[in-house]
Amino acid sequence: MTATREIVTDRREEFAFHDDIVYLAETKRGLSRQTVEEISAFKKEPDWMLQFRLRAYEHFVQRPMPTWTDGLDRIDFDKIVYYRKPSDREEKSWDDVPDQIKATFERLGIPEAERKFLAGVGAQYDSEVVYHSVKEELTKIGVVFMGTDQALIEYPDIVKKYIGTIVPPEDNKFAALNSAVWSGGSFVYVPKGVEVPLPLQAYFRINGENTGQFERTLIVVEEGAKVHYIEGCTAPIYATDSLHAAVVEVVALPGSKVRYTTIQNWSNDVYNLVTKRAHAYANSTVEWIDANTGSRKTVKYPSIYLRGENATADIISVAVAGKGQHQDTGAKAIHLAPNTKSRIVSKSVSKDGGRATYRGQLKVSPGATNVVASVRCDALMLDDISRSDTYPYIDIQEDDTTMTHEATVGKISAEQVFYLMSRGLTENEAQNLIVQGFLEVFTKELPMEYAIEFNRLVKLEMEGSLG
Amino acid sequence: MSLARSPRATTARTARRAPADLPFVFADRGLAQALAAERDEPAWLRDERLAAFTAFESLAVETNQLYTPYIDLRAADLFTARPYVRTAIASATSADASPVPAGTSGLIELDEDGVTSIGLSEVARARGVTLETFGAALARDPAAFRLELEGGALLPSTDKLAMLTRAFWSQGVRLLIPDGVSLDEPFVLRWAAGAPDRALLTRTFVRLGRGARVALVEDLGPSRRPTAATDGQSMFAGTLEIDLGPDAELRVASIQDFGASQVVLQHRQAAIGAGANLHWALAQLGGRLVRSRVDNRLEGDRSSVEQVEIVFGAEEQLFDLTSYTRHVGRDTTGNLLSKGVLLDAARTYMKGMITIDKTAVGTDSFLGEFGMNLSKKTRSVAIPSLEIDQPDCRRAAHSSSVGPIDETQLFYLESRGIPPDEARKFIVLGFLEPVVARMPLEDERERLRGLLEAKWNAGLEGAAAA
Repeated sequence: MTATREIVTDRREEFAFHDDIVYLAETKRGLSRQTVEEISAFKKEPDWMLQFRLRAYEHFVQRPMPTWTDGLDRIDFDKIVYYRKPSDREEKSWDDVPDQIKATFERLGIPEAERKFLAGVGAQYDSEVVYHSVKEELTKIGVVFMGTDQALIEYPDIVKKYIGTIVPPEDNKFAALNSAVWSGGSFVYVPKGVEVPLPLQAYFRINGENTGQFERTLIVVEEGAKVHYIEGCTAPIYATDSLHAAVVEVVALPGSKVRYTTIQNWSNDVYNLVTKRAHAYANSTVEWIDANTGSRKTVKYPSIYLRGENATADIISVAVAGKGQHQDTGAKAIHLAPNTKSRIVSKSVSKDGGRATYRGQLKVSPGATNVVASVRCDALMLDDISRSDTYPYIDIQEDDTTMTHEATVGKISAEQVFYLMSRGLTENEAQNLIVQGFLEVFTKELPMEYAIEFNRLVKLEMEGSLG
Repeated sequence: MSLARSPRATTARTARRAPADLPFVFADRGLAQALAAERDEPAWLRDERLAAFTAFESLAVETNQLYTPYIDLRAADLFTARPYVRTAIASATSADASPVPAGTSGLIELDEDGVTSIGLSEVARARGVTLETFGAALARDPAAFRLELEGGALLPSTDKLAMLTRAFWSQGVRLLIPDGVSLDEPFVLRWAAGAPDRALLTRTFVRLGRGARVALVEDLGPSRRPTAATDGQSMFAGTLEIDLGPDAELRVASIQDFGASQVVLQHRQAAIGAGANLHWALAQLGGRLVRSRVDNRLEGDRSSVEQVEIVFGAEEQLFDLTSYTRHVGRDTTGNLLSKGVLLDAARTYMKGMITIDKTAVGTDSFLGEFGMNLSKKTRSVAIPSLEIDQPDCRRAAHSSSVGPIDETQLFYLESRGIPPDEARKFIVLGFLEPVVARMPLEDERERLRGLLEAKWNAGLEGAAAA
């Protein structure tokens, strides 16, 4: 069998970057109360934010390391640099961005993407937003899209009103860590009734060995407003482990619609521990479209709390776990109000000894009458050295809930491969096509350029495995 | 800071308890030693109890971190419960035969710690079947008995409450079916328990030889023994440890209908040999708090297990049911179905784990968990999980649903002239029928139908009164 396969080399290295940036300011390795104070002082933050950080730090120190997923004890918090500032001020136009950073973005294709369908760019280079542009028309209609640090200066009232209300620092150990040392991330504010015509897009990147990345994203969508936010990641490959602990908070006020799309492709040394949560108020719709192909270990369960009547939650979660990777991902839908709906679709692929875990929760609380909910989890295993786990939690506390859940695990069917090969495809191409088809529920929700890029990514992963 | 808890003090009972705090205090080393000494047990058995006690002490109530948020022992209050030490009737064998009811191959009836009836049919005796208490086995067949029990291989070694029973059992039943013995008529095992402030801990060991084929009916119901009038709860902890030889087939049907003050802890584990088949039909109706665990180990190639379980909960009953199915051999089959109907403020935690080992090529495994919540105060939790190391399988899937009574079914029945209450009853009892239909004895089937219907009617009256 193996002899008929094409020998293809793993080309992922070509897509990894590391530039020698002169860091202008950074904290010492390790985390202490003093580190937190330094970060806050450096950013000249108001006292309430310093207190928020310190409260989070105290909780982080006290909170035991979670043991329900393995490998987190390998993170050495003392080795990490918690804050690093690559350039002095927030750039307003592309021309002002330092050449070296610009060169990295060129390789990532940001300017092209921008020309095509970007409404705005907030690109995160290490721990600060360095480049950021909002199209004039967005500013005109009152949409705010900027780094969260900048928002803390320009829109302190909105930030203060919402930050930490969706994901409190005490939520979990890594939310506490993020709350203590956060830096960067996107702030989006869409005023009442405004529909943002194009997706808002931000590239996030980690650069620098052992640089922690703790971005904090806050998206507030007022009544009847509509927005689509997209983030995608690449990162340089390093031998030692990097840590990425982000928090994303989404507030979907009555009648609004929010879609949040992520393509996560951190390099395979990154621990990616993310808390993503949305509160969906009456008649609003929140959609998480979430793909995880990179990182050494990802722990991420995008959640939607359905707080208002007739709110809708839609979560599509996709994971590809290759050699040395553990994708511990899933979704949560928490129904707190009557007539709310949720749908969770999860697709995972594990191969080359990788491990894909679906972990999710569906909860219908007392008082949430007439709920309709569904959870579907499918896993594809490409070889017998890989592993797949499915852990759904379903907790129903109302008598008129309609809930269905299905899960299957299997391998690529030999008949399908044989059929495609009889049509002239190589075995590699056939398998690649089947995996792409399996993940289509996700791909079809992406803007076209992203869909192409994602399929290319999957192809790369598949080739890497077969080389 | 920990408060010293006095077992008899009322403050201990009213003190706020964490959900996983043990609801009893009788388990200590002294009791394990007393059980062994009072019953003149050999050293190996005493050591066996002490080893189990050591494990009990070191384990958490729930060692599987997936399930730690879903444990709640607070409904149990057994702080004044006393276990049986010197059992009323320790040694009884089917040789002291009392006649068995027609249509059965054997019967053992126990009320609390005492044997009230034991016997085998002529055919079963002629084919060399053994049915006896652990006391009798120890006196009559000590070497073989030691091999079966020592080490507790047929109990989950990381389960604290299984180790509790292994350390402190006072009564046991042993059923051995020789190679090739095939009997159509079932064996009946009847436990009665419910004496207030008593804890009855028992073990049952069943071994089927190569190619043996039998059925076992387990009846768990309230004690008929007259008791002092107190309102104390009662504990029944029971194991069913099954060793299925190659090509053996065992059908187990169980009806649990204990009284409303019963705390029930069950551990059933089966090692299933090559080509062997195990069928479970389990009905859970009674008890205040039921924590049950089933472990199916599909060790032999081509072995299979079918497990169908129903729960009918009312009032404040809590059913905490876990099943682990592990596929080890090649071409094994697992088919598991759980169904729950909940009235009033009843709760179920249904936890099902399918594990497919790397060796288990060609597995076919399915787990279904389905619930019907019929009142606003009910709560049903389903956690159907898969852990898979071998993708080369025929099927690995689970499915789960929770929904109210189907309005279209109701409409259909009503359009046929059936009154709404009747129609609802039909639909609910029909939902549970798959387990009823698997009861191997006609009498048992009818009895279970009667119990389900009575519980439904009582629920309606309760709803009308409220």
